[in-house]
This record gives sequence, structure tokens and C-alpha cells, in this order.
Amino acid sequence: MIYEICNLLIPISDSFSFCRLVNYITFRSIMAALTAVIFIFLFSKPFILYMHRRSLLDQARDTGIRSAFDKSGTPTMGGVLIIGAVLSSMAIWGNWHNPFLVASMAGMLWFGLLGFWDDLSKVRRRSGDRGLSERTKLLLQGFFAAAFAWVCVGPFGPMGPEMASKLYIPFYKYPLFDMGPFFYGVFIFLFVIFVSNAVNITDGLDGLAITPSLFVMAVLGIFAYVEGNRIYSSYLYYPFLRNAGELTIFGAAFVGAGLGFLWYNAYPAQIFMGDTGSLAIGGTMAVVSVLLKQEMLFPLLGGLFLVEALSSQIQDKIGVQWLGRRIFFRAPLHHDLQYKGIAETKVVIRLWILSGILALIALATLKLR
Amino acid sequence: MLTSVPIILLLFAISVLLAMGLLKWRWRRLSSLECRVMLSGGGTGGHVNPALAIAEGIRKREPDARFCYLGVRGKAEAVIVRRAGYPLHFVSSTGFPGLRPSFRTIRFFIKLAVGILQSSFLLLWFCPRWVVATGGYVSAPVIIAALIFRTLGIAHTRIFLHEQNSIPGQMNGLLGRWVDRVLLTFPQTLSFFPRNGSVVGYPIRHSIVQKSRDEAASNLAFRIPEGRWVVFAFGGSQGARTINRAVVDALRHLLPYRERLFIIHGTGLAQSEKYDPAADTEGRLKRVLSAEERVLLEGFYYRQDYFHNIADVYSVSDLIVCRSGAGSLNEISSLGKPALLIPKANLPGDHQVMNARAMKHGGAAEVLFEDTVLEEGQVLETLQGHVLADRILRLMNDPGRLSDMEGRSRQFLRRRANERILSELFQDNSYNNGLGAHGLPFKPLMTNHGLLQALSAAYARSPSSYDPLDVVEDEDDLVYYRHRAAGLLTHEAWQDRNVGVKLIGYTHYHEKTPALLHMLADRTPASRLRRLFGGDFKEVGFIRRNIVQAIQVMKLYDPEIEGHLLVAAGDPYFEVRSQVCQAFAFFGSRVFERETVFQTVLKGLEDDCFEVSVEGARAIGEIGMDHRALEILLLLRENHYWQVRDAGLRAIHRLLERGVVPPTDSLTAEIGSFILTATDFRPHFSIKESYKVVQTSCRERLKDGKPLCEDVPLLTEASARKR
Repeated sequence: MIYEICNLLIPISDSFSFCRLVNYITFRSIMAALTAVIFIFLFSKPFILYMHRRSLLDQARDTGIRSAFDKSGTPTMGGVLIIGAVLSSMAIWGNWHNPFLVASMAGMLWFGLLGFWDDLSKVRRRSGDRGLSERTKLLLQGFFAAAFAWVCVGPFGPMGPEMASKLYIPFYKYPLFDMGPFFYGVFIFLFVIFVSNAVNITDGLDGLAITPSLFVMAVLGIFAYVEGNRIYSSYLYYPFLRNAGELTIFGAAFVGAGLGFLWYNAYPAQIFMGDTGSLAIGGTMAVVSVLLKQEMLFPLLGGLFLVEALSSQIQDKIGVQWLGRRIFFRAPLHHDLQYKGIAETKVVIRLWILSGILALIALATLKLR
Repeated sequence: MLTSVPIILLLFAISVLLAMGLLKWRWRRLSSLECRVMLSGGGTGGHVNPALAIAEGIRKREPDARFCYLGVRGKAEAVIVRRAGYPLHFVSSTGFPGLRPSFRTIRFFIKLAVGILQSSFLLLWFCPRWVVATGGYVSAPVIIAALIFRTLGIAHTRIFLHEQNSIPGQMNGLLGRWVDRVLLTFPQTLSFFPRNGSVVGYPIRHSIVQKSRDEAASNLAFRIPEGRWVVFAFGGSQGARTINRAVVDALRHLLPYRERLFIIHGTGLAQSEKYDPAADTEGRLKRVLSAEERVLLEGFYYRQDYFHNIADVYSVSDLIVCRSGAGSLNEISSLGKPALLIPKANLPGDHQVMNARAMKHGGAAEVLFEDTVLEEGQVLETLQGHVLADRILRLMNDPGRLSDMEGRSRQFLRRRANERILSELFQDNSYNNGLGAHGLPFKPLMTNHGLLQALSAAYARSPSSYDPLDVVEDEDDLVYYRHRAAGLLTHEAWQDRNVGVKLIGYTHYHEKTPALLHMLADRTPASRLRRLFGGDFKEVGFIRRNIVQAIQVMKLYDPEIEGHLLVAAGDPYFEVRSQVCQAFAFFGSRVFERETVFQTVLKGLEDDCFEVSVEGARAIGEIGMDHRALEILLLLRENHYWQVRDAGLRAIHRLLERGVVPPTDSLTAEIGSFILTATDFRPHFSIKESYKVVQTSCRERLKDGKPLCEDVPLLTEASARKR
């Protein structure tokens, strides 16, 4: 909004020349982050109160961990706050003609709504295990993933046709090979579904999902800045992605919203993000990393999410359902650590540290190529 | 060009309406002109015969009635209906495989759709006044087609559905909601169709008439000596392997009573290649009984493959041993005979079990369940001979119970079902219709998973006072559940066997312990692929763990079990090892070879897996007999896992409690050297506690009915001081 207004004002008179600031991505990024934080600080308290009154509370779920205390009764669907903050911040500071921004926003909203529906049905049915069925969820995720994959490799791809289906890997300057639109599309499809569910699985302890996703979004924002900048990208041998800089602003808004949310979500949590938040965050991270051609960086950058998802799937699908034994003590990873006798707070902070280290390593790939 | 489109559409609509009107007019005319009845139902004789019985009843009343029978090619109806001389048409249909997405489900829907189309044409051509369906998937398409026509307003027909069993089949249960009337055999079924159900009984074609004993005996091909108590055992026209074998096995236990008893055995006709009842029975007889014993059978035991004059045999019998199909039960009830029912296991919806249960609740029968066992790689249902013999003898020696059963049997099912049904069809109250019958309460059987959930929850509430009867309530149901659980052990999928193991434990099926122990020791390897991913044996880790747990739940302990537990302590899967340690802790005082067990638990303590160490430490606390135990526990002071250290401290506490070690100053000093720093803690939310205090005090007051204004502090003094 402000971006549009300022660009209208600049040609009118010299007295509006300070409006040129909005053409600097750094300025808009910082403003977007601040706006998002302020949004969360303004609306969290009434939101939490409202959730209590409507008793939209988290439902107990049998995890097999003898939890130190009963967490059911904490309001859920905090993801609404995160999405609201990012949305309003981007409404003010974003350039909505930018296809990168529109694609990321679409991803966030679609997955957010899907998660919202899931949360709502959990609350309605009074059971943490009886939200949307796994099949419905996968179907709806798959629908978006397929559409997005088509956009990426199709005629409306924001990356441009010559880059669209090339696969980049970290620590290597040039594209590894061209996968061809079909296989690359399938790859994106699976990637988006996997990542969104990975965050959903990670979201099991207070503050566990939000901080690592802050790191991921921050690093992706930096990558977006580099790749969207002609000089930096040629200096660091990155493919130049016109307009990708807008994702820096988006990432910054996200970091702001996440920080604000952590304020309330830190142990002991006053609100959970719910599937609304975790699916939205996962979907956004997946879409942004695909748009920045950093999908192969994600296993390193979001290594925590990868391990959480894999441990959960291996335990459940291979171990419990097929072999008839446990492979880990408990799954996903954070429950395993808890089971080994580490307190929730300690588990969370240790995993934050690990994800921070991973983010640093991922950032190092900017230059180490 | 464009202008002609609406005209074409209009013409099309008009012609459709005209056609519908014409069809409606034709249907109305034909169906009011003569009594046209469309019959359907089949799959087995049990569904076809009631339909034919109804048809016969209608024909008696309206000799000009026209019939049309819809069936499925190659099933029982193809033979029986042809022989009865009714026009027969085939439609396509198949059994409902469940809603899971699979190839069979798709095939089912395609077949059903084709069947509906076929039935639609037949319905439009025949224009029946009534559609009478007797269940089975065979009648599904015609009912659906008729319902569609009725919704469209074309059909001028009433739809009836007859349900023979006490629990409605899947199709009947679903379609019964929309048909005009569901005609029921069992009063228990009324709870499924409270709106349109009516208890009429089971229609039979040639009613079985009660004859006097002497008259019936004179019709028989064999002679029954005077004053004998007669048992008639049979397994239906095709014979039942379980019943045949059980009867033969029971003979040697019944031989001592040959002066008082007489046994008539209908073996059944050979109808499939797999099982020839007569030959199998003959062979078994030779194997089970010696030649001398077989001589004694003369004048005590009579065997024939099929009785054409079954009414005579019924009439001379004092007890009927048979399957609990709806047809048999109806015959028994119409003659008022007490019955010993052996329901066929593993049928869809367990309907034979439900029938038998219904009759047992009516006080007219006793029930024995068959075991499902794996014999030479084949799943077999068996019933042990001595169990059957024992039950027969017990009934023989209890005339009071028998006469009571007789009376209740007579009242159990509705008689004159044909009249009642005709009265429903013609709607003329020509016979007091079934609406007056009040339904008996129906308690459905629990599914395996539901049962498991209920039982394990009850066990978790109080393991010490747990009794499965508190949950199941009915003793016979519990017996059935036990048999069903044992049957699960023969399944190929380990998930089913696992449920079976758990259920055997929770239902306290002690007789199956040897089978469980055998499974625990079974070292048949899993498939190569599974082993590649970390699987080990065919009896997977969960099953082995749950076997140990089941033994614990059953509170069974003897030297043999101990031996198996000692072996299982070396299991490659950590949860089994930990569960074994837990079991030793549980059976603590009942352990036989203390030293061996102690050494085994010690090994558990040094296990790589901390979970096992924790349980091992606990076990040492329970079975440790001297200060060696204390020394070992004190070694845990610097263990990496705080849970192990914690368990060590608790075990020392147990040793002190049990008086194994004396409290000394040096001990106090030694336990001080335990690392007490832990990575875990228990948070404490004051507000949640206050809430609980208020909540419980509220509930208690409500329970006591005390007024709520008494001046008592809501917080206990101790918790108030803490604040």
C-alpha cells in the first residue's frame, strides 16, 4: 500500500523525495518486520482472550510420553496471528505486482486455511487425533503443490524459462543439471508436501517450531536479497532472479511475526500455533526455497525439520506399522529426547542451538562455492 | 441454429415427462389389476427359502398372483427357485467389501450399478405391487432401483425386507432405513429398525409339525430303546466339521452312560471336494475308538448323512446340538426344544454368534464356542470332545433346567410367521401383526479393538483388582471373546496376532498360555526385506513384548513361565528385555530360582538401553535378597541417565522397606554420592492445582448432597501455606 502510494507521490513534487526510501529493499524489510511485530503485540492479548472465551483450546493427544503436566486447555490456532501479521505487514509494505510475493502469499494462505480447518475440526470433535483425515490433508496439500509446480515450470514461472527446471545444489556454483519440466515439477510437488508436513510434525513443544523457522526464513531472506540483486548475484555467482528481492521483505515480515509470536509461545506457552501456523509456515518455507532455487539447500538449512519428519515417518511407517517394533524410543526426535529424560525447555533450546548452527552453515554456502 | 436448441430441450423435457407419466400409469394399472410380486434374495439357501415361503403364502391367498424372482447367477437361488417353478431372472451384484479404496470396492460398485440398471428394466417391465427382499447382497440392486423409482414418483409399489438373523447384514442395515417395512425374525433386532421394524418370525415353507414321540419313533428307520434321553446332533445339510468331529470325540466320554443316552448324529451330505463328512466321520471314529468300544456303540449311537424326515427326528429328541443359523433356530423354537448351540465362528458380522446369544438370552439354549487353531498350516475350527460331552451330561442331569429351556424355547421366536407377513403385505390386519412385539434389548458385541480399549483402560485404572468380567458383564460373551482372541493368533498379519495376544492377556484366557509361550520362543525369521530394515522374527517385537505383558496381566507364574522369561531376557529387541525385567519386578516374591533370575536382571542392568536398566534396577529392588543387591545399586550413582539413578535410589528404598538391608549411617553417606542433578523436572502450575481443589470439592459435595455454603477453606492448609 505504502509502496504504491509513495511511488505515486514521487513524480508529483520534490518535497516527496524522501519517499524514494521505499525503493530500498533494506528499508522496507526493516519496516515490514517492525510492522509485523507490532501487529502481534497489539492483537495477541485480545486474540488469546477470545480463544479462551470461545474455548478454541488445544485438545489432548496421546503421544505416549508421560508429560510433566497437561497441556490441553491452551488456546490453539495462533497461526492466525502469524498469518495476519505477515499479511497486514505485506499489505502495507509489499509490492503486490511481484509474482514472487504473490506465489509465496498464496502458499501461506492456502496452507494456513487448510490448517485452520484441521484445527477447527479437532476442537469441534474434542479430540487431538480426529482432525481432518490424513488423506484429506494430503489431497489438499497435493492440490496446491501440483498447481505451484505447474506455475514454476509452466509459462507463468516467475524464475524465467531458462532457469525453471534447473537444479542447483549448495557448495556448487553451476546448476547440476536440467531435470526437465516434468521431473522438476514432480520434485517440487513432493518437496512442498514434505516440507509443510515436516514443520507440522516439528511443532510439538513450546516454541520448537517457530524459532528454527525464523532462522530458515531469515537465511532465505538473505539469499533472496543476494539473488535479486544484479551486482551481488554476479559477484557470488548466483543466478540473477529479477524481482526476487521482494522475498527479502516477505522474509523479514515473517521473522518479525515469528519473534512476536515467540513472545507468547515461549515455554510455558500461552498459545499454540496449531496446524494453522505449522502448515502455513511449512508451506511458505517450501514455496520460498523453491522460488529462490534453493530447494537442495533446505535439507541443510532446515535440517531439524528434515530429521523430525524422517524420524517420525521411519518410526511409524517402517517400525510400528510394518516391522512391529520401535526403531527409536519415541518419535519424532523431540519426543525421543524427552523420553530420554531431558526436560522440555532443555530439548527446545538445544534444538534451537542446532538449527541455528545449521542456519549458519547454510549461510556460509553463500560464499563457499 | 441457436434458436432450435431451446425448442429441442423443451421437446425433450416434454417427452421425458410424457414417458414418465405413461410408465406411472402402466405401473399403477398393472399393479392394481393383479397381485404382482417381485421377490429377491439369495446367496445361500437360508435367504432363498424364506422368500419362497412368503411366495407360497401369497399364492395360497391370491391364486392368480404373478411372481418374478431376481437372483444372482450360480448361487443357491438358481437351483432352488427353478425347482420351485418361479420365473427367475439374473442381475449382477456382489458382496460389499468395505469402503476401503481397493480394486474389489471398484468392482463392487460397478457390479452394483449394472445390477441396478438391470433391476430397473425388470421393475419397469414387471410393475410389481410389492417388492419382497429377503436379504443378502443379491437383493440390494432391486431395492435400490425400487427406491429410486419411488422417489421419482413412477413406482407404485411397497418394499418389504425380511431379516433372518439377529444382527442385520450390511446391506439390510443400510437399506432398511428407507423401505416400507423391515420384517424381523428376532425381537432383539427391533432396536436397529425402531421406526419400520416389525417382529414376524421366520417364514417356513412346510411347517415342521410336532408329533407325539411314539408316532415319530415309528416313522424312523432305526429303533430307540425305551427310556433313553435322546440327543440329536447335526451340522446342517452340508454338515459341520467341528460338530462332527466333536461328537465323535465326545462319544468315548459318553460311553459310560450308554444305558441312559441315545445319540443321533446327522453328518451331512458331501457337497464340496474339500470335506466329505461321512468318510471323515467314519475315519475319525476308527481312530478315536477301539474296536471293542465301537461294538458298544450299537444301540447307543446312530449315524446317517441326511434325514429327510427331520421333523420326526426332532420330535423324538430331548436336546438338539447344532449350528445357530436362523433356519435351524426357528425349527427348534417352533417345536420348543432345548438346544446346545455351536455357532460358526469367523462369519461376517458374527451373525451365528449373535443368533446363539439372542437365544441364550431368551433362556432357550446354551452355547459352546469353537476354537480357531492352526493345524499343519491350516486354519481349523475345533471343539474339544470332552467339553461337549461334559455339557451334554450336565444338561441330562438337570431336568429342571431342561424343562425351563423347553418352555422358553417355545416362546422364543414368533410362530405363524407366514400369517403375520401376509397381514403386513395385504395391510388388512388379518393376523395380529408384529408391531405389538416389544423388542428385547440388544447389546452388540464389541469389536476386537473396542474390547481391547475397554479392557486395557479398566486394567490401567486398577491393575490389582482387575477382572475382565467387570467390563464384559456377560460370562458367555467373555468366553466368546476369548475364543475370538485365540482365533486371531492364527492370522497371517502380525497386527492381528498382536491384538490377539493382548486380548488373551486381558480376558484372562489362561488355557492359551502354552500357545503364548510357544510364540515367545518362536525364532522363525522374518522375511529378508524386513530383516534388512531391522525386523527380526516372524513373531515381531511388539508381539513378544505383549506376550510378556499378557503373562503379567494374567498374573500367571510357574517354573515353566520363569524359564521362558529367562530366555526372553536375552531378546534382541529392547522392549522385550525391559518388559521381562518389569515382569520379574512384578512377580518379585514368587520367583523360584532366585539366583538365576538375579543374575539375569543384573545383565539387564548393564544393558545398552537405559530403559532396560531402569526396569532392571526396579527388579533388583524387588528380588534382591542380600547386600549384593545394595552394592550393585550403589554402582548406579554416576549413571549417565538420571532415570537410572532415580530407579537405583527407589530400589534401595524397596530393599530397606523389605528389610533386606539394614539402615546404617554408611548407607546414608553412600546414597549422598548419587549425582542428583537431572535434566528433567516437573513443572508446577499453582493455578491448575487450585482449580482441581475447587473442582473436586464441588464434585464431592454434589455427590454427598451437602449444601454448598459450608464454611470450609477451599485449599488445604498445607497447600495454602506453600503459597
